[in-house]
Amino acid sequence: MFGDELTILGLYGLLVVATLLAQATGAMGQLGMGYLLSSRDEGRTAAGMAARLERALANSVTAMALFAPAILILEARDGFTPLTLACAQIFLLARVVYLPSYAFGVTGLRSLAWSGGFFATVALYFIGLA
Amino acid sequence: MMSVELTVLTLAGLLQVLQFGLMSVPANVELGPGKTLSPRDRSRLGGSLEDQLSERTARLYRALNNHFEGLILFTLAVVVVTLGEASNTLTQACAWIYLAARIAYIPAYAFGLSPWRSLVWFAGFLATTVMLLTALFS
Repeated sequence: MFGDELTILGLYGLLVVATLLAQATGAMGQLGMGYLLSSRDEGRTAAGMAARLERALANSVTAMALFAPAILILEARDGFTPLTLACAQIFLLARVVYLPSYAFGVTGLRSLAWSGGFFATVALYFIGLA
Repeated sequence: MMSVELTVLTLAGLLQVLQFGLMSVPANVELGPGKTLSPRDRSRLGGSLEDQLSERTARLYRALNNHFEGLILFTLAVVVVTLGEASNTLTQACAWIYLAARIAYIPAYAFGLSPWRSLVWFAGFLATTVMLLTALFS
């Protein structure tokens, strides 16, 4: 059975895939395809939006590592309720908002969106462990 | 009975352990325990430890970090495929492709094989994406 929270987990995986593609596109523009294909021994760094996408990707991977176990605990304990679905939806929505707000440097909104995703994840842990 | 995807996930986890060893042993030899056991403050070491590694060890370090990212995404794909009971020949093949690509990625990075490193990276990435899509649309 494919619970709704699991669909959200799968969708979030695809969001990270999309973030990675955007980050790679930005890096390609700034650092050049030749550098990206090389062993990157020089350690060139991107700037501006490409660098922001790099940080957003790293943050999204961290969030994924935290979100996935919470869903797993709930799945293993048959703990899905309308409340956990709402938390998972808030998480996904917050992370969708997070990306453009980081890419375009919208101060305040980015941190707000990050907090929404973070606290939704924390709530899932509390519900799962209760 | 473990599914094929879970078996491959276990092997990928062990690959990460192996990669850590491959990086950690030469790094400790090159830098010395005085530096690696220290709190690694940049002010005391004169910059990042990664910059003080030999070229090959620094590549193994980047390869290890890259696999952390790939492994988290692959774990997620295995979870949704397994719990969603969406496992089929395609997702099983994708899991094996992922593992093969991540194994090939290590020498490709260490020996600076361009563009092969990027190509095998992309094969692993694509295999993971196909697994995610299969789980969602099956």
